[in-house]
Amino acid sequence: MSLLHRIQHAGDALNCHGDMPTRGRYTMGIAGEKFFRAIKEDAQLQATICLDCDITYMPPRLYCEQCFAELDEWVDVEPLGHVHTFTVVHQDLDEKPLPEPLVIAFVTLDDTDGGLIHYLGEVEPEDIYLGMPVQAVFKPEDEREGSITDIECFRPV
Amino acid sequence: MEEFVYESVYLRRDDFEEGRVLFETWDPNTQYAWDAGVAIGRYLQELKAGRLIGRSCPECNRVLVPPRMFCESCFCPTDAWVPVKDTGTVLTFSRCYVTWDMIQLDEPQLPAVIELDGASPGMGIMHMLGQVDPDALEIGMRVQAVWKPSEERAGSITDIAYFRPLDSSKD
Repeated sequence: MSLLHRIQHAGDALNCHGDMPTRGRYTMGIAGEKFFRAIKEDAQLQATICLDCDITYMPPRLYCEQCFAELDEWVDVEPLGHVHTFTVVHQDLDEKPLPEPLVIAFVTLDDTDGGLIHYLGEVEPEDIYLGMPVQAVFKPEDEREGSITDIECFRPV
Repeated sequence: MEEFVYESVYLRRDDFEEGRVLFETWDPNTQYAWDAGVAIGRYLQELKAGRLIGRSCPECNRVLVPPRMFCESCFCPTDAWVPVKDTGTVLTFSRCYVTWDMIQLDEPQLPAVIELDGASPGMGIMHMLGQVDPDALEIGMRVQAVWKPSEERAGSITDIAYFRPLDSSKD
């Protein structure tokens, strides 16, 4: 690569610029596929349950992390939860200022032992508090594509 | 203990394109800048000017091509730029009937390591051979660089188009 690089000016000789075209595709896996299908098709959150350990996994897992049992008990979960923690983000990944600050929160979902990391919306950053009740806002069906962004955000109840 | 084993799921391109499997796509930014360094920087500039240069080692007196700022044999800094000729000797070669991305070729590419005249024995650069019958190649063959016209040269090893057999009458 380096020796094949073309320079236009003598001063450019010391730097060779390149790019490695790289595209990642991450499949959801068996549990993830079922989870995101339910979001895409029914705007429905689902969890798996380990009855022995009394744990409700959100997002759903295929195996119990405590007893390693296979989990095939699926339950519907209400799109309601509480802000466990949050961050107000003012810069993008390249450290450029954002036009509007984004709020990212870990939202614990009611009646589960887990939660989702997502945006908080329809709320001013200064009005957010830990433990604030929120609910998921789903995109319209024709815009949902089986991704976590099928949930637009969580907004205050 | 009971075992749960899921069979592997083999996915084909169609499964992605026809929406049978959910997935996320992302394109990481993998741009980079590589510092050619003092020796290779100068080497590339000289190529643009149609010249080949090496560096000499004050300890072992070898002439190193491509140039480097230290001698890997003596672990001392090299101390002078040395012009070398664009003629040389084939040290090894290959007849390649497939490109790097596995496209079959009717006419082979002929990569070779060429020891340049003026460089120390074994100091070879990798390049392509041309204007030659692939079956007539042999180790020890005398060759000469065919340079691109100066207006097409860009400060790259490809400023030499290829090496061709040296006309023995002028050698």
